[in-house]
Amino acid sequence: MSNKTLPTGTRDEFGTIAMVKDQVIQTIQQNFKHRGFKKIITPLLEYRDVFQSLAPQAYQPYQFIDEHGDTLVLRPDMTLPVARMMSATGIDTPIKWYYSGDVFRVKKRMSGSYNQITQAGMEIIGYRSLKAEWECLVAASEISQKLGIADMTLELSHAKFVPNVLAALPISAPMADNLVQALYDKDLTQYQALLEPLVNDPFYPFLKDWPWLFGDFDAVLDQLTQLPKIATLESIIADLRATKAFISQRFPNVTVTLDLCVQPPQTYYTGMVFHAYSQDATSYLFSGGRYDKLLTNFQQTAQPAVGLAFDIDAIVAQRHLPKAPQETLIYFEADQWAHAEALQARTPNSNLCLADSFKQAQQIAQQQNAQLINLAER
Amino acid sequence: MTLKIALTKGRTEKQVLPLLQAAGINCDPIVNKGRQLIFNDDPDYHFILAKGPDVLTYLNRGAMDIGIVGSDILVEQQNPQYDMLDLNTGRCRFVLASTPDFDPSQTKRKIIATKYPLITQTYFEQIGEDVEIIKIEGSVELAPLVGLADAIVDIVETGTTLRENNLKVYAELQAVSTHLVVNRLALKQKRAAIYQLIAQLQKAQKSEV
Repeated sequence: MSNKTLPTGTRDEFGTIAMVKDQVIQTIQQNFKHRGFKKIITPLLEYRDVFQSLAPQAYQPYQFIDEHGDTLVLRPDMTLPVARMMSATGIDTPIKWYYSGDVFRVKKRMSGSYNQITQAGMEIIGYRSLKAEWECLVAASEISQKLGIADMTLELSHAKFVPNVLAALPISAPMADNLVQALYDKDLTQYQALLEPLVNDPFYPFLKDWPWLFGDFDAVLDQLTQLPKIATLESIIADLRATKAFISQRFPNVTVTLDLCVQPPQTYYTGMVFHAYSQDATSYLFSGGRYDKLLTNFQQTAQPAVGLAFDIDAIVAQRHLPKAPQETLIYFEADQWAHAEALQARTPNSNLCLADSFKQAQQIAQQQNAQLINLAER
Repeated sequence: MTLKIALTKGRTEKQVLPLLQAAGINCDPIVNKGRQLIFNDDPDYHFILAKGPDVLTYLNRGAMDIGIVGSDILVEQQNPQYDMLDLNTGRCRFVLASTPDFDPSQTKRKIIATKYPLITQTYFEQIGEDVEIIKIEGSVELAPLVGLADAIVDIVETGTTLRENNLKVYAELQAVSTHLVVNRLALKQKRAAIYQLIAQLQKAQKSEV
């Protein structure tokens, strides 16, 4: 350990990257603000129990013990603290929140991953209508356009599709559990072995290709024609179709795809799930969906909710970082302060040089390869 | 669309290349590689050769789309990507082994040397035993011979090394084979190419049987 080194998985951010990151956050927050969303700031520290519905293998948190022996964590997620706050304060719904901040997830040491991740997102709480998903997706698509993400793919899925198909299958509960695990893991070897007893079942033509039921929206729907009719799927498919049509009409440049074999990101998802990525990305740009039972982790009554979060670091990593512009330093005498400030305000990429002498100002300008304006000689 | 594949070099590489070639992938540059580690000439498939645990690091960071790696590494490293296909090459098994005088039923907290602490811990938890694990980086067979450990958990292919070192197998743990692992986001971005690769590999596997 040293007083100069950072803990594993952390980093300092400064200069152009920090500026770009700030601009990305501002762009996202401005959009939500213009849509009338309200800002919410929750603490970095929470009790561990707030996050008990998160899959523990997905998000390992930093943990501490407080003075009473209770376990605290640095928040690994932004949505559950909002749900905790809603259940504790009795704020009237419907309400729309936006937020930005850091979450902390301990990753494997020295793997090139960072444990502190910046997110900016929104939560719409209290609306059951599909319009809530649509506002989420419209806002996210608008933001992506403003951020200059030209080749965005929006992937839609639904937390209830897989369970509803499984419920209709003529198989035992343990076999269904094994099958869905192999499906979610995309473990084709195991999945195909499990299907062998069902070769003559009417579901087999659909089941054999189920792990590949993602990609082009219409092609995936075409594959569904092999599936025997399941009444509970009709409204799910109708909502997905309507959402695809709505987004494609509003944002013709966004490619909308469909995934009907993916595991929801968390167990608390109850409806439509969305992810977005660009072709060169190594992480999703944003993820979200509907989680109508989220608040039941904290209170008796359920509240419909839809939300999404942008992965700010993933967006910044994909952006072309501009070359730092040449700076201009403004040297002035103390009695020229107002004049210097006025000049600085109208000169791009400038700042006040606070040197005591012009000679010192010249040295600083040379060191920083900056232009120097000398107000003292005017 | 180019698929970027990280292949575990060494034994895994040698045993899987015939299957890749049977699946229609030109592996000649890898067969005749000399000291080359990266192969970018084929527009459809770019390969790198890396050590097993590093294959997963490249895959997890999105630097590569696909990894070809032993299931021992996948389990030990708690692979978070899609383990899509058992290629059924590089087959071997984990065993608990020691000197002939080792008594597995002896009531003591045994000391087990291994390169695979997680797999070892999981095995002994399953049989209800708590053991002390010593992580060894290679030539694990030495540990019980020089008194560092009571026994070892290691991968065995033919058992020759164990026999030559006068070690005996006391328990069979899980089987090991080479798997095809796919980065989760790459599967979305390159669905058609990955589908085609897997279909070709499965066809080649069937014709081998």
